[in-house]
Amino acid sequence: MGDDSPLTSKSPPPPSTPPPVSIPKSASQCMTPSEISTHVQFMREALSMADLALQTSETPVGCVFVHRGRIIGRGMNATNRTRNGTRHAEFLALDEIMRARDGKKPRYAPETLRECDLYVTVEPCIMCASLLRQVGIRKVFFGAANEKFGGTGGVLSIHVGNGRKAGDGVEGVEVEGGEEWERWHRDDYEVSGGWLREEAIVLLRRFYVQENDRAPEPRSKKDRVLKLEVEPMGEEGKMGDGSAS
Amino acid sequence: MDYESAAGNKSRLVPLKTTLEVETRDRVINVYVNAIPVKQASNALSIIRRLIPNDGGLDLQHLRRFVKYDDAPPHVRASISETRSLVTPGPENETPKELIFIAGSVDSISKESLIEGLSSISNPVCICSIQVPLLAPTSHEQAAFWTSRYWPTVYKKSNPFGPHPSIVSRAEEDINEDVEKWMALADGAAQEARATGSGEDIGVVIVTRKNGIARPVAIAGDARWLDWPHSSRGNVAAHATLRAIAMVADGLRARDEDQQGVSDITIPADTGIFRDQPRMPTEQCRSPIDDDGYLCHDLEIYCTHEPCVMCSMAIVHSRFGRVVFRRRMPSTGGLCSDGELGHGLFWRKELNWTLLAWHWSSGTDSIGTCGVESDLHA
Repeated sequence: MGDDSPLTSKSPPPPSTPPPVSIPKSASQCMTPSEISTHVQFMREALSMADLALQTSETPVGCVFVHRGRIIGRGMNATNRTRNGTRHAEFLALDEIMRARDGKKPRYAPETLRECDLYVTVEPCIMCASLLRQVGIRKVFFGAANEKFGGTGGVLSIHVGNGRKAGDGVEGVEVEGGEEWERWHRDDYEVSGGWLREEAIVLLRRFYVQENDRAPEPRSKKDRVLKLEVEPMGEEGKMGDGSAS
Repeated sequence: MDYESAAGNKSRLVPLKTTLEVETRDRVINVYVNAIPVKQASNALSIIRRLIPNDGGLDLQHLRRFVKYDDAPPHVRASISETRSLVTPGPENETPKELIFIAGSVDSISKESLIEGLSSISNPVCICSIQVPLLAPTSHEQAAFWTSRYWPTVYKKSNPFGPHPSIVSRAEEDINEDVEKWMALADGAAQEARATGSGEDIGVVIVTRKNGIARPVAIAGDARWLDWPHSSRGNVAAHATLRAIAMVADGLRARDEDQQGVSDITIPADTGIFRDQPRMPTEQCRSPIDDDGYLCHDLEIYCTHEPCVMCSMAIVHSRFGRVVFRRRMPSTGGLCSDGELGHGLFWRKELNWTLLAWHWSSGTDSIGTCGVESDLHA
């Protein structure tokens, strides 16, 4: 993002905190309250990027990359603005990171990404899940699951073995930690879904009641009603809307 | 696949199989077959309709019900004559005027009831169990292969697991005209990327086809090493496919600006991860976009290599109509359903967009990844 971008000139209002906060079931069992509050705080930053996307008529998906406890890149969906269906939040955030300069020198080496965690409001799509795998992300925290395009469990599980299906007897041959196993799993990353998923879903619903005038044959959405209650989470934050992330 | 490698060295378009085709195409079931005199065919059928109404719910339309003894696959004839020698010991006295017919699946009836039911028309009853394909074939080649391996099988020009064959063959007529030209152009972009050190030996061409006239609207070589440290695995966002898609987007934006007057969009220079500007001479040889496109709706994309999972999904997100690639990338490619990953992203019912996909197989060079490492993500 350049200096004149809306991201720096206008900071979004801090999101109100409606308790109780939705977090994954597993987190409440195996994380300390201070760890949980750190993750929730970063997810709020991702949500404020999603909110910014909504204000500029983009699909409201936002993300932040965190390196050693500090946000080093922010991104939001930009597919409408750029006329490019691949400009998802994750790409925009990576662009910001690699654009950063100290003098003329790049501030971050590509290897920095191997020590980064991503917080994104909607489960990364298959494309982004592969991007994250190829840059070597460490861990991904997401809000709402993505049943239409999700690449970290929604449709495919790219984060484990590049989504290759187990079975056909391959598991027997590939001893965990062995050379063949290592070839498929060295870029695997951890994923944790369901962080502030209600907030992420409500943002998406706000977007879907707006008109998307760039899509072919715009359909009238006048009859659509904004629904603010979110059904309780299933296993790990499934949602029906699905979206570009 | 045995029936696919039979083709010669001439270049040809091989439609990709969908994940459903790959998962279901080799499924077989066991059925009972029986040898009967030719004149008993209609009697046999009416007995079977009574014993196993509606074939027990199975659709066997793709299988020939009756086959002349001499036309049955050798292993079926062998089973029949072995059974016969067991039921009637002594010298063989089989008559050539015999039919073998499919009675029904082994799950739909017991062997004893079947023998009892058929004893009125053939004595002794020679029943044996054979394997047949459960579902209809999706090509002539597959039908021919199954006919020799299992049982005479009929291809009815339909495909419940993917694009309709007539749509695929109509598209092939278009593409066959000029696929060689676009691949040569993609090769040119790939060679420039390699020669200048800006990327791997990978190139992509995006083509618009209107009223029978095809024009290239974006040409891109791989640029993963352009202004990027060699200590890493390269700039993932500078894969040829993503660059070419971005070039089309730039064209759409430029046209918007012409129509709307002043631009409110600033396109950042290529200093972060994006390498969207055409750089090489080949990349400049393109026509402007003149229609009101939505993303890359219904455009065609030609790739020197099967795109990686990221780029394959980028093609789906961008609403392309057709994708053709030259070299398969079995370990990393996202389009094929029968590679090591098996994602088949060009046609999955879960996704909101499907497109047609071909491997342009030019005999020898389609085997092996040619010019790049097999573990590379194209």
